[in-house]
Amino acid sequence: MRAVFLASLRTYSRRYVAAAVAVTVAVAFVVVVGILTSGARSGLMDGLGAPYRNAEHVVSPEGWPSSELDPAAVIAFTERHGENASAIGRATLPAHAGSRKLSDTTTVGPIATSQVWRWQELSSGRFPSRTGEAAVDVYAALAEDLAVGDRITIGVGAAASDVQVVGLVESPSPPAQASMYVTWPQLLLWRDHLHLGSVAVRGEVGPLPEGAKALSPEAFTAERLTHVQNRVDSLSVMLLLFAGIALFVSILVIANTFSILFARRLRDFALLRCVGATRRQVVRSVRREAAVVGVLASLTGTLVGVGLGHGLIAVIDALASAVPMGAAELPVPWLLGGFAAGLAVTMVASWLPTRRVIRVSPLAALRPDAGVDARTRTGLARPALLLVIGLALLGVAMDRSSTALMLAGGGSVFAGVLLSGPVLVPRLVRIAGAPLGPTVRLAAENAAHHPRRTATTTASLLVGVTLTIAVLTGMATWRTSLNEQIGRDHPIDIALTSPTRPLTTDLLTRIRRTPGVERAIPVYGAVAQVAGLHDPIPVVTAPAAGQVARDGGVFARVEPGKIRIDADAFGKDLTPRPGDRVTVRAGDRRIQLQVAVGTGWGPAGVVAPETLATLTDAPEPRAVWIRASTGADPARLGADLDELADPVGATIENGLRTWESLDQQLQIYTWSALGLLGIAIVIALIGIANTLGLSVLERAREHAMLRALGLTRGQLRRMLAAEAVLLSLVATVLGTVLGVGFAWAACETIVKPALRDATMHIPWLSLGVVVLIAALAGLLAAVLPARRAARVSPVAGLSLD
Amino acid sequence: MTGSRHDPAPRLPRTAASPGAVAARARNLTKTYGRGATQVHALRGIDLDLPRGGFTAIMGPSGSGKSTLMHCLAGLDQASGGTVTVAGTDLGSLDDDALTIFRREHVGFVFQSFNLLPMLTAGENIVLPLELGGRRIDDAARERVRLLADILGVADRLAHRPAELSGGQQQRVAIARALITQPDLLFADEPTGNLDSTTSAEVLDHLRRSARELGQTVVMVTHERDAAAYADHVVTMQDGRIA
Repeated sequence: MRAVFLASLRTYSRRYVAAAVAVTVAVAFVVVVGILTSGARSGLMDGLGAPYRNAEHVVSPEGWPSSELDPAAVIAFTERHGENASAIGRATLPAHAGSRKLSDTTTVGPIATSQVWRWQELSSGRFPSRTGEAAVDVYAALAEDLAVGDRITIGVGAAASDVQVVGLVESPSPPAQASMYVTWPQLLLWRDHLHLGSVAVRGEVGPLPEGAKALSPEAFTAERLTHVQNRVDSLSVMLLLFAGIALFVSILVIANTFSILFARRLRDFALLRCVGATRRQVVRSVRREAAVVGVLASLTGTLVGVGLGHGLIAVIDALASAVPMGAAELPVPWLLGGFAAGLAVTMVASWLPTRRVIRVSPLAALRPDAGVDARTRTGLARPALLLVIGLALLGVAMDRSSTALMLAGGGSVFAGVLLSGPVLVPRLVRIAGAPLGPTVRLAAENAAHHPRRTATTTASLLVGVTLTIAVLTGMATWRTSLNEQIGRDHPIDIALTSPTRPLTTDLLTRIRRTPGVERAIPVYGAVAQVAGLHDPIPVVTAPAAGQVARDGGVFARVEPGKIRIDADAFGKDLTPRPGDRVTVRAGDRRIQLQVAVGTGWGPAGVVAPETLATLTDAPEPRAVWIRASTGADPARLGADLDELADPVGATIENGLRTWESLDQQLQIYTWSALGLLGIAIVIALIGIANTLGLSVLERAREHAMLRALGLTRGQLRRMLAAEAVLLSLVATVLGTVLGVGFAWAACETIVKPALRDATMHIPWLSLGVVVLIAALAGLLAAVLPARRAARVSPVAGLSLD
Repeated sequence: MTGSRHDPAPRLPRTAASPGAVAARARNLTKTYGRGATQVHALRGIDLDLPRGGFTAIMGPSGSGKSTLMHCLAGLDQASGGTVTVAGTDLGSLDDDALTIFRREHVGFVFQSFNLLPMLTAGENIVLPLELGGRRIDDAARERVRLLADILGVADRLAHRPAELSGGQQQRVAIARALITQPDLLFADEPTGNLDSTTSAEVLDHLRRSARELGQTVVMVTHERDAAAYADHVVTMQDGRIA
């Protein structure tokens, strides 16, 4: 049997290539995930440990993370140790650069003056050495537009203190990171705002502050790591989910390869049985073949994965240095896991086809070309049951907003569709191919003749397409709903409000000419003192707000007798509560109005035109509300408008930034999901090319006969291309229907309870693109097999046996 | 007339065709495979005329070149030297596509096995050559299918797939398919190779009737003397030459 086994490997090795590629890709995927996880972990480890690298002990809260240390005790403890201790923590304070307000969450941390305790890395300028100097984190500097030499006021009122930026630094330790760093004595100015999480100590620790413990730096880092680790791990789990999808698709591809190869070799197996091989011997030989393919492919996958993973880490380091990526150790469990998964997938996928090998009778060899008829009876009972159960579960899931039930139901429906594939897919292929002329009809008949094979081939693509479409539709729905929500929270992209002077027509013209401004409307009103507010504010009316507002101007439609105030613009200064009646005074006129709140148009009160008429006879332009054009850069536009607003004493309210960050987040999610699913789709397409390539070999005589009967080379190529395109189209269309359905179920189950008024949004354009790409990819998958088939001359094909 | 110099076949009465007309002609036909030491001369200068409306058998042992001769005459393979003229067309002047279309219009085939496409019904298999040529299946075509199916005794099997037909029935469907285009030449390559003697006799009888009753030129390649006996003329091949 050894001779047979080796000879089979030699003869059929080329036919296993595509299956091996599928396994390789899936295994490499797993290994890359492992290496990235390991890299992220070691990056975190380096960063976490940086502030403690010269410490012998780290003092931290006993019950971390649920308890904190008393700052006063920690300060006393640190002072007592002098040069031998360095506290790590930060204060969150308001900060201003000149008149410009910086982020509300400006954080200030300590920077040591001695080399021993300083963990920040200098990027430009120098380190702060005394009170009155500060170093700014490079990314904070980028975001806030700060540079060496700038003066910053940290804190307000009595606690305010001016510092000069003397350097920009990188902060490799995320937990100790702050926007800016000052020396310890300077930081103690804001001791009331200070949170201190740990102290690095050299030498004797001595008596600890209350509720504190002392750990070795290693033990401390390990404790913190397990906490952060959970996030890295959950990311890995998500990535592994996609790897699982890729592995599942590989199973389908490999199972198909084996069943086609074995169908073709069934007579060989029967012959072996005739000459005395036992059932066990035949099966063992075949399983060993599968094992060899599995081992080689998994090994290749592991190696490719290691190379790719390290390459990716280098790329991430080069492109995004903010992401902490350390040198990855080889994650041995991941490598072994990936290898084992690849081998297991190959063995599982070959299991079913080998069962057919067992059943072959020795007599099959003697029958004159009985022709292994691929027609198999496929019951519809099981798939139907799965469909019904799945749909019922989905119904309940939508009713109860249960994600678990939704997943179970979706899985059940999908399994039902996959199982009914052998009945469903050939019919769909026939229907799709029928009106397209004899060549395509022949292609459709070819596909329909092997229902199981065709179904498995399409199933692999179906998985990828269904998930892709579900993600696209789900994201589009989520995004549309969020847009509406944000439209209510930030109705005006950018509002320019002037409480001091009326705005001029000239300014309006210049605003309209600013690049990135799509439309700008002047808003008329009068400056009035609203009781409970410190300064007078413009009270305006904007019947035309609908022209620029993202909520269609709803926020600006205020009933007479009410005034709507932007809660965000005043923050804590807004003492009147919604529903309160306040006196509004403009000049010598006064009126009682009921307060309503909203957000997103800046420091102005919005009233009905009638209300404004009682306050003033001559409304002046007090604000300009601006709608940005699509794709405008929020920061740039904000800065440009700021320049126009500053000289006239107007302020800018920029709602566009929220839009942008949300947009970016959604895009990152969508594209990463699509990229990861892309791997499954690539494997599926390899599968289509593989099935087609193998059936081209199998049908060489059929093709030769067709050529003899008068099928031209071009027609033969077209026939095979049509078969591939029909397969991928049917899979794609079916996947689109399923994907949209699943997205609808997910919308009803998850999005609707989270966001009121969410409506299903189908991204037709994206769906069209996916279908088109799948059809083209199908065409691409057919290129090689079709060329090979057309090269065979009719005579050569006919003499094949 | 058979154009062979050494014609061992007995002269049998000829029917439908007009005497002297030639359906296919080969002149100094050679075919070699490979090169150098492994070169094989499959055909070493064949001169042959196939009479229109005649039933010719090409006989010879395995490796004598009879199949190669058929392939060259049928336009399935390009000769290395010499000329083949079928229905007034020099096959050597045609490229692959032109040759394919020529086959589609002028030549019919019946093979030993793998004769029918398994995924099409018998009826669909019969009209396949018309469909490949892009012809509409009109009433006349349907009428011809019915006529051929009647003659060949497969009229009640047209809706069945090949797997549901016996070997003899499959071969008769294949003959019907070869005849549907009314080709100038019908080639049968060991048409009875896979059949038992009774069924063989039936199929051979049908081939002979095609020649006699439909005036069809039939060329059969076989190594069975019994089968050759059904033919009007027998050409015997030996080592790439007509013996």
